[in-house]
Amino acid sequence: MLDSIEESYKVLYPHGHFNVGFTSRDFKTVSLEIITDTLSYIYEFNIDEPRLLDTLTAYKLNAAKINALIKQMHDIRCTWINYSDYYVDEKKQTLILMSIKPTALKAPFSYAKYYVLTYFPQPQYFDSEGRLLDKRRLRRLRKINGEVFRRINSKVCYAVTGHFR
Amino acid sequence: MKIYNHTGIQYFIKATILTAGIALFTNAGKALTPVHLVLPGKVTSTQQQAIEYLQKINELKSSAHWPNIKPDLFLKNLKNNIHDPISIYPGKGTNFCGYGALTYLFLQDDPLGYASLLVQLFIDGRATFRNVSFDPSPAIKQEAGDLKYKGVLDINPAEQMWFLTLADHYKGYLNFFNRDYNEGDENTFWASVNYAKFNRMTRQLLNYNYDAMGADLMRPRLKSLYNYISEKMKTGTVVLFINNRIVHKKDHIQVKLGVPTHFIVAERISIENDVITFIYWDYGHRTQMQVSTAFFKRIVFGITWFTKKETDAE
Repeated sequence: MLDSIEESYKVLYPHGHFNVGFTSRDFKTVSLEIITDTLSYIYEFNIDEPRLLDTLTAYKLNAAKINALIKQMHDIRCTWINYSDYYVDEKKQTLILMSIKPTALKAPFSYAKYYVLTYFPQPQYFDSEGRLLDKRRLRRLRKINGEVFRRINSKVCYAVTGHFR
Repeated sequence: MKIYNHTGIQYFIKATILTAGIALFTNAGKALTPVHLVLPGKVTSTQQQAIEYLQKINELKSSAHWPNIKPDLFLKNLKNNIHDPISIYPGKGTNFCGYGALTYLFLQDDPLGYASLLVQLFIDGRATFRNVSFDPSPAIKQEAGDLKYKGVLDINPAEQMWFLTLADHYKGYLNFFNRDYNEGDENTFWASVNYAKFNRMTRQLLNYNYDAMGADLMRPRLKSLYNYISEKMKTGTVVLFINNRIVHKKDHIQVKLGVPTHFIVAERISIENDVITFIYWDYGHRTQMQVSTAFFKRIVFGITWFTKKETDAE
C-alpha cells in the first residue's frame, strides 16, 4: 500500500505540483498545497467536501486520481506526502517524503510520533548501523529535516519523529 | 525550536527568565500606540546599480576569512539575489525567517548597499554599514558555506554568510541562553528573532521609516485587523509576525502555545464574505491562503509597516 501511494504520487506530481496530507487528528481535514511557478496555494477541506474536487479541477489537476490517492492515504493513516529537494555536489536531487501516524496507544502526555519514510530515486550510502550517509562525505550523516534516517532498503529510509513534515 | 527538550527545574528557570525578558524588552507598550520613527537617510539604490557593481567584479579570489565559501558560487548567489529578490531562501528547518524577511526588504530598498556590504564582508571578514559594524566570530566564518540539508540554501553561500552574520551580531532575549554558535545552532534559539529584535535590525539596516504594532505575546488590539493592514499596504510594505504553527501544521497536537514564530512579507490582501485572501512572501516564493477573519486575528501578533524615505537613486 505504501509503495502504491508513493507510485501514484510520483505519477501525478509532474502533471501539477501538489503536496497533500491530514492536519486533524481524526483524519477528516485535508490540507492541500498547490504549487505553481508564481504562487503556492494552501487550502483545507473536509475529506468529503465537494470543494476539494472542484479546486483540483480548477487547477487542471487529475481530480479523480488525486482523490483516490487521498482516500488511500486516509485508509492507512498516512499523514503527509510531498516532494523535497536536497543537494549533492551542488546538484539538485529530489526525494518523496511520506509520513504515517501509528495506531498504537501512546503514553499520556507524551508527544505524538510519526514514521517518516523517504523514497530516493537512486541507491544511497549507509554506515554499518544502517544510518543514511552524505554521498559527498561518507563519514557524515545525511539529515533530513534535522533527523537521522535509517535503511529499509537501498532507496527507502525511515525515521521516527515528532513532526509529520 | 527545541523547546520541548527542557525538563524540570531547568525548564522552570528558563521559562521564568524568558517571561521576565519578554515583559522587559518587547514592544508591548506600543500595542495601542504605534511609534513613528524617522531615520537620517542616504539615497537608496536601484537594481541596475547593483547589477553594474557586480558586473565589474570579474573574478573574486578565495577569502581566508571564509574557508568554506567558493568565490564563484558566492558571486553567482549574489547576482541571483539581485536579479530575483523573491528567491531569497532562509533554509529548511532553520530559525532564519526574520533575517530572510529583512533581506527581502533590503534587496528592494538598497540592492547596491546589500551587494557592496556582502562583498566587503567576504573580502575583509568584517564590514560596516549604516554605522553598524559586523565582525563575525571565528565559528561563523568556519561554518558559512558548509551548512547542509537546508534545501537551496546549501548552494547559496552568500546567504549562509549573511544570515549567520546577522544572527551572530544581533541578540535578543530569545538568544539569552545560547549566544555562541555551535554546529546546528541555525535551528535553535541561537538564531531566533523576537519582534523587537526584528524591528531593531530593520531600523538600523534599512532606509525606511517604520511603524510597529504588536508584541511577542500580545496581539495588536485593532477594530479591524483587515482594514488596518490593507490601508498600510496601500502606502508601504507590511511585515507580519505570525503564529505559523497553526498555519503550517506539522503535528496533531491540539493545544499549542499561542506565540508568534514566523515573519512574512504581506503582498496582497482582499476580503469577501468574511474570508480573507492573503498573498505573502516567505521562503523563496509567494503563497496564497484563505482564512476567516477570526483565524487571521488569531495568528497575527506583530505588524511592521515600512515606507520609503527616498525614491530610488537616479
